[in-house]
Amino acid sequence: MSTARLKRKLGDLGIDTSSRKANENFCLIGTPLPPLEKSKDTGEFVPLWKQEVRDEKGRRRLHGAFTGGFSAGYFNSVGSKEGWTPSTFVSSRSDRAKSRAARPEDFMDEEDLTERRDDLKLVDEHEQMDLLGGTQSEMSRRGDGADIEKDAITLTLEQSLLPAPKDSAGARILKKMGWRIGQGIGPRITWRQREMAFGRDPDTASDDVDEEAKKHMYAPRDKPLIIVERKDNFHGLGYDPGLGLHASLGVAPEASKQPTGPRLAGACSRGFGLGALNDADDDDVDVYDHTQTHGRNRHAYDASDIRDEEHVSMSSRTRDARSLGKSAQPQRPSAVQITFRDGKSPLAGFVISDKPVAEDMSFPIPEVPQGWTPNPTRVWEKEKAGSNDKENEAILPSQPQAHAQWKAGISADQRGAALGETPLPSAPRSIFDYISKKDQDRIKNVTSSRFAPASASDTPSPGPSTPLPPTMTRTEPHVAQAALRGFQPFTTDPAKQARYTAYLQAHAEPGSVAVPLAQKPGQTPEDLAKEMSDYAKAAALFRPISGAMAGRFTSASVLDLGPKIIEGLHTPAAQPEETESSMDVDEEKPKEEVKEEDPKVHAARLGTYGVMTREVCLWQPARLLCKRFGVKDPNPEVPVDTTGPSTSTAAPEATGSAPVDEVGGASAATMQVEGGSSGSGKRDLGNIGLGEEDGQGDDVLTYERPGMDIFKAIFASDDEESDEEQDRIDGADDVDESPAISVPEKPSESVTEVKPAPPANGVVEDVDLATFKPTFIPRMSKTKDTEKKDKKSKKQKGSKGGTLVSFDVDEDGGESLSLTAARHKHRDRDNERPKKKKRKEREGDKGEDMWVEKPPPDIVKVLSVNLPPDEGGGLHVGEHENGPSRTRKRAIDFM
Amino acid sequence: MAPSRGPQVLARTLHQTLSNHRGPVHVVRYAKGSAKYVLSGGQDRTVRLWNPDLGTQIKTFEAHGYEVLSISVSHDNTKFASSGGDRSVFVWDVTAGVTTRRLAGHMSKVNAVELNADATVLASGSYDATVRLWDLRAPARAPIQVLDEARDAVQTLHVDTTTIITGSVDGYVRTYDLRKGELRSDFIGQPVTSVAPSSDGTTLLVSTIDSHVRLFDMSSGKLLNDFTGHNHTSYRCRACFGHEEATVIFGDEDGRVWAWDLVDAAVLQPNPPPKVHDKVITWTEHHPVDAGEMITASADGTVKVWRHPS
Repeated sequence: MSTARLKRKLGDLGIDTSSRKANENFCLIGTPLPPLEKSKDTGEFVPLWKQEVRDEKGRRRLHGAFTGGFSAGYFNSVGSKEGWTPSTFVSSRSDRAKSRAARPEDFMDEEDLTERRDDLKLVDEHEQMDLLGGTQSEMSRRGDGADIEKDAITLTLEQSLLPAPKDSAGARILKKMGWRIGQGIGPRITWRQREMAFGRDPDTASDDVDEEAKKHMYAPRDKPLIIVERKDNFHGLGYDPGLGLHASLGVAPEASKQPTGPRLAGACSRGFGLGALNDADDDDVDVYDHTQTHGRNRHAYDASDIRDEEHVSMSSRTRDARSLGKSAQPQRPSAVQITFRDGKSPLAGFVISDKPVAEDMSFPIPEVPQGWTPNPTRVWEKEKAGSNDKENEAILPSQPQAHAQWKAGISADQRGAALGETPLPSAPRSIFDYISKKDQDRIKNVTSSRFAPASASDTPSPGPSTPLPPTMTRTEPHVAQAALRGFQPFTTDPAKQARYTAYLQAHAEPGSVAVPLAQKPGQTPEDLAKEMSDYAKAAALFRPISGAMAGRFTSASVLDLGPKIIEGLHTPAAQPEETESSMDVDEEKPKEEVKEEDPKVHAARLGTYGVMTREVCLWQPARLLCKRFGVKDPNPEVPVDTTGPSTSTAAPEATGSAPVDEVGGASAATMQVEGGSSGSGKRDLGNIGLGEEDGQGDDVLTYERPGMDIFKAIFASDDEESDEEQDRIDGADDVDESPAISVPEKPSESVTEVKPAPPANGVVEDVDLATFKPTFIPRMSKTKDTEKKDKKSKKQKGSKGGTLVSFDVDEDGGESLSLTAARHKHRDRDNERPKKKKRKEREGDKGEDMWVEKPPPDIVKVLSVNLPPDEGGGLHVGEHENGPSRTRKRAIDFM
Repeated sequence: MAPSRGPQVLARTLHQTLSNHRGPVHVVRYAKGSAKYVLSGGQDRTVRLWNPDLGTQIKTFEAHGYEVLSISVSHDNTKFASSGGDRSVFVWDVTAGVTTRRLAGHMSKVNAVELNADATVLASGSYDATVRLWDLRAPARAPIQVLDEARDAVQTLHVDTTTIITGSVDGYVRTYDLRKGELRSDFIGQPVTSVAPSSDGTTLLVSTIDSHVRLFDMSSGKLLNDFTGHNHTSYRCRACFGHEEATVIFGDEDGRVWAWDLVDAAVLQPNPPPKVHDKVITWTEHHPVDAGEMITASADGTVKVWRHPS
């Protein structure tokens, strides 16, 4: 501290403390002050607030609230910057043998460990001092069950006689003070006192004791420590496992005479274990049955009570404690009997025991008859003979029942059997017993066809049965069949099994003639009948889960079927047949497979690749894939995704969706016709050469400009549109033709090819326009059809009306695009002219009443009549009618 | 079909041996364009870029955790795709040498990978019997479509502008025609190890492990020619067309490079060809433009560049 002050002073004076001059040492005697620069003066005074507390390793242990922070936890307790480091996972797979349970030490840090080390030392000392083994280690050393059986006296003797394993400090001190093992602690007592302490009358017992003994002082009697035993078991309170029914029976007659106490105890104990979970049947059975009949009223610490009674002399204190604890319970019953029989009242705080002094059960030795000689063989024979009775005896109450055993209980059947009741006639039934015969047969057929091959594999070849008369059809055929497939009960007895199988086979086929089982040599008809009934029962029992349920289960393991039984012994004729048939089955299957694969494989083998080896099927590439590959979607009729639709793809869609939507219930037949025609068209297209392309290109061009209706049909909700139009039309000429209204204007566009379509259904395959028509036919009468046509054109115009301006632009664009062939173009023009006319007219109509415009349809008709000739034959038209094919054609063309 | 120009001499003079691979080389592909470079992938989990002219290795692409079974180079040589045992397809940036995409989805190793003409779609055929088509444009990592018609491992793939051709161990060559929207399955009868359509798309060269290389008419599925003589029974070997598609080349399991005349299916001299690799030739590829160059990759760990003696 002085150096610090000095340094400060020097610093104030402006002297460099680290210079040599300043550090020059003038001391000749004594210890010089430490040099200034390394002034680590540990003894230096530091004000309190600067002092630091450090542990033995020099780590700061105390941190202020503002100086500690993270590092406080880090340095003090955690030990790493990251916090507690969880131990990394180490696989114990390789050294599983070495692995052991985690000890508490594994989770302790060094401080804990040192603490524990200290503790361990203490624990050792405790253990040394543990004279009577109260600690856990002592208990475990003594073993669990052994001691319980030991009676109190031996236990006390053991405890008192056996020396403590090692003298503890206290024991050593006591020994130095004159104490010996087995003696009590306290001042010495006289012989007389000692006798009294031992409960003997000093005056009476004096004769066999020598005088010398009375002259000495004795150590007081040793008092046993009160050891509260751990309750390691799961018995109920007051349950004495050593005390069985047998013991209780001995006292039973007496106990039954005791009305109050035992009854109450019984009632109390009855309260145990009789909850909702117990069977109603068991109501009459008491859980602690023996307590009812047993004369003793036993409660929580009975066992120790007994023991205490044997210690005749007890210090008054302990006895008080005991009796206090004890008195709590029988208080109420004792209220009746306050006095002894002789009129004396018991001491305060005591009650009169309502149970008699326990008697030792002793039985008189049986009197051995005169001239009796032991003959063990007789006993053995008796045992053999009465083995059945033995089983019954086992249930006798003389055997104490283990708790678990008791809990498992006896079933109603067992009880009934014990009581000699006749068993209820409830044979195990299958669901088949409740099904009509007809259904049974049907189910059987189904199951046998479906499941037989699978399950037959793990049975010893049931096979077709022998044709023999069905004399004893006690077993249903299907039951027999099932049993054949199921568990074989008599595998241990091959002969019996064989007979069983034969029996089953005889019954397996309902219609067939079955030979009844021959009597075994030396078998009476009754025996045979019994055997048959046994078999019938077994068949009913041991059959696999039948029918549809079987498919839901797989057997965990293959049944042990025992020795292989050769049915040929009984049915020699069946044997070869069976093998043949099975062989046939085996051989047929591969043959069939070969046949199946044949054409293709054969062709491949021969090298005749081509039609035989080629399969063509539809495949829908994802739209995105087509986009990425720059290919048009080959099957654009897949709905809705016409985001970048070519007009031609839109057209078929309109045909597909709009009419269907509107017509709703359009007949399926017409739909199919449409689909079929388009499909065939596709195929045609695939085979069509380039020669016919002109017309198609034409066609495509005409389709370049779809009517707004189509767009509406696609993008607008159909309902609105149709409703609007419907309204219009309905207003005009009250004819209900709502389905027809929605027809896109396509017909008018494709007018070029349209022949004057026949009004009826025949149209279907001929013309574009017609493809729309059929969908409406089902609802219309034929008479209306002509009318309809007119109206249709009207409607088209009506729908087109609003969007004309934009459409023109489109048209121009379309035209410029479609300049592939002059001829086409020309024709297009031709086509457009009428349209334009129409449009004009429509524009005119807009202003006027819509229904004045009858003429336009005529024009259209005229055009349609005129134009077809240069379009070519019907074949051509037929091709036009399908949209998708057109699409593809175009794609190919422009690639 | 390209017209035959008479028997052409196959480039059989060893020009360079590229032997940096440790373990078998599974695939070697020419780059696109003038094909001045070569990419090879092998059991050692690397893809190596070579200059076949000088025989020097330019770059090693290391990211695969398993063997590399297939490589496909994009049209502009800026990226390539590789696949192999690690069930995902890696798309690489050639210059940066890093993977730009890892397409995971296959259930087992990916035997074949192929980019389409403009590297927007990647097709990968796997041991799990599916072909997955991946979109390389969109950031979405799910496949566009899964072609699961194959009943067994897909061994080889070919993608051109409008079709996807797959060869599978189930003995089928499947042609997915995008334009027609149809799938043509041609039953070959034997596991198919390679498919190579001619450039005009009318014929298809198919090698199967019954030691046959067959030439099919793609439109009808008819057999046009059958090339035999070589040994091909268990490995994935590859048949390819020679220059101008006048010949058919096949590196077989004995380490011989066979050549046939396309039209008359006669083995070109020498017959039998000399053994040039110690082990099975896993990949044979003819230079796309240069008439006199060819590369072979072999399980003996080498890639050999063959040229005409000059």
